[in-house]
Amino acid sequence: MNGNAATTAATTPAEAVKVSGLVKRYGDLVALDYFDLDVHAGEIFGLLGPNGSGKTTAINCILALLAYDAGTIRVFGEPMTPTSYALKRRIGVVPQNVAVFKELTVEENIDYFCSLYVPRRADRAPLVEEAIDFVDLRGFRKFRPGKLSGGLLRRLNIACGIAHKPDLIFFDEPTVAVDPQSRNAILEGIERLNRAGATVVYTSHYMEEVEQICDRILIMDHGRHLALGTADELKGMIDMGERISVETLDLPDPALDRIRTLPFVIEAAYDGRELDVRCRRGDHNLVDLLTALREARANVGHLTSRPPTLNDVFLELTGKALRD
Amino acid sequence: MWTTFLISLKVSLRNRTALFWMLLFPIVLATMFNGMLGGLSDGYETRPVPMVVVADANWNKAPVTRAFVDALAGKASDSEAIVETTGTTGATGQTLLTVTEADSPEDARKLLADGTAKGYLTADDGGRLAITLSRAAVSAIAAGSTSDPGLGVSVAALNTVTDLYNRADAVARRTLADNPQAALSRSFWNAVGSAGTPMTREVSLTNAKPDATARYFYALLAMNCLMAMSYAVGAVNATQANLSALGIRRTVAPLRRSSQLLAGFLACWLCSFAALLIALAYIRYVCGVGIGGHEPQAVLAVAVASFMANSAGTLLGAIPKLSADAKTALTSAISCALSLFTGLYGGFAMQLSDWIARNAPALGLINPAQQVVNLFYSLMYYDGYGPFVRTCVTLLAMSALFLAGGVALLRRQRYEHL
Repeated sequence: MNGNAATTAATTPAEAVKVSGLVKRYGDLVALDYFDLDVHAGEIFGLLGPNGSGKTTAINCILALLAYDAGTIRVFGEPMTPTSYALKRRIGVVPQNVAVFKELTVEENIDYFCSLYVPRRADRAPLVEEAIDFVDLRGFRKFRPGKLSGGLLRRLNIACGIAHKPDLIFFDEPTVAVDPQSRNAILEGIERLNRAGATVVYTSHYMEEVEQICDRILIMDHGRHLALGTADELKGMIDMGERISVETLDLPDPALDRIRTLPFVIEAAYDGRELDVRCRRGDHNLVDLLTALREARANVGHLTSRPPTLNDVFLELTGKALRD
Repeated sequence: MWTTFLISLKVSLRNRTALFWMLLFPIVLATMFNGMLGGLSDGYETRPVPMVVVADANWNKAPVTRAFVDALAGKASDSEAIVETTGTTGATGQTLLTVTEADSPEDARKLLADGTAKGYLTADDGGRLAITLSRAAVSAIAAGSTSDPGLGVSVAALNTVTDLYNRADAVARRTLADNPQAALSRSFWNAVGSAGTPMTREVSLTNAKPDATARYFYALLAMNCLMAMSYAVGAVNATQANLSALGIRRTVAPLRRSSQLLAGFLACWLCSFAALLIALAYIRYVCGVGIGGHEPQAVLAVAVASFMANSAGTLLGAIPKLSADAKTALTSAISCALSLFTGLYGGFAMQLSDWIARNAPALGLINPAQQVVNLFYSLMYYDGYGPFVRTCVTLLAMSALFLAGGVALLRRQRYEHL
């Protein structure tokens, strides 16, 4: 990363992005409702929320793409405006939709978008080569986007956003519609960028991705900040323990009713083959459930118990109602 | 900014849709025009008219008249020297008729009826010639039939020289009757021989010979020029975050928007200039449409016209709250609509264009397509550069207006939605 990051870090050590009381309205619709956000320099920060929760609006406001109604936005300690060219030079953006020229080759695309940040060709050439290597597109450098697969296009999209070695990178759902191999390569790449010193703001619908790479996660909905913390901290915020699944073919209805009345059970469902129980926190949930099954003389087959996931946290906080 | 300029140039040159509309479309249309309108210029060329001569007693006793008709038919005659002095065929060397002889007017009419000839010539007892046309020839001339290109002009020419001959003959006969001594005077015969010269003198009112088809080609160039607006519309769209993902990527970059727009504008101007130049070269050198010998000035005209088109495209591209597709559609609609008033779409459109020029010149003044047509017109027909310079200034003033509007709209733009 360039030297600016170190300089800024000396004056504002931990703050890469600070958003306070951000309000954005579309007519009567409040897209951001006094939204707050703090991204620490050097971390991978996950921004989670259902469709329409305000994630992209928040990012667009931070990038000074959208006008907003109230609030303040500071990036590396400085106010972010449409003409903050010095700040913009330190920011990279990987938009959700692939944004490349279909008339240009892979190499020309990367070189052009890098040129918007690094005007001198001599300075730019090694950065372009590095970006091509970073996303492993060396064998495709003379290809035009029309000839690339979905995964390769996503990698090109990333290369165009990071070639100039920004200090702060926004990834807006970069793994949509890519195969598991490409997804893995992209996530590894983001972690490498972070290890090299870049601060990353990452939005995705894939909970396991966010859990895998993000240091801290913010869950938002209806334009508001709902919860913030590490994955474990978030899991600790909800009253949910493990989820136990038991294979049993002969569970009578009275026994199921009995299980539902157990104090640690939040929800129990039985489909004739498998009993699925969502539990509250507790040290003896599994033992107590097995005891109840034994008392009901049910034959128990395969049994799994898994701790709560980020997905459980997300659904708990944002609800299960379908969004658009 | 230099890289943005080069990339915009590259993108434009590799844009197949734009290349089709800017390069292939005018060449195909010009080729079609050339095929269709070739007959129009044929209509202004004289061709020998097949005529029957009624070789009756009057004809046989009028050797001078026979010699005159032979000369019009391009035949050698003993009396050629006499005919040469009339200044009819000798000046142009053109054959005005082909001759078939008939014994009587009835026989001549039969030949007219079976289509052998378009008319017949008779001589009266004084040797004066009279032309009678067939009903079919009269109808063809009145309808401007394409099956007989040039018939009207050829018959008119034949009528003129015949009339001239009759008048010269009458004057000579009357003079000799009044003063028989005049026949001994060389100056008298010289005067008779040059009877037509002062009356029919070819004068040029325009810089170049009028070409009825040129107007269609100029209108085509004007439409092609307006289609070039799509280059600038695309370039502006690509910088707007609310219209394209590319716009988002470019808006978050630290290169000033004005620099990006300027680089895009220059690249689009260069591309459309080159495309129009190719179309002009094709029209000039392949289709053979003249520009009054002012080819270097025509290059300047193309530069001015393409500048105006890209300025207009910048304004269209800057219109807020319109999608990129809507702007593209609007560009095509404007190009097609304004071209209507230049006469591109045929006879009715030409009449409309002429009507506007006569009755509402202000409408022509504010129509950029008409002004582009006027650029080439002024080069073709005017001796001086005054009209050409005035049209250039008009187009540059339009460009300034379009650019000012576009810049004002773009400067005010702050995205509410993406």
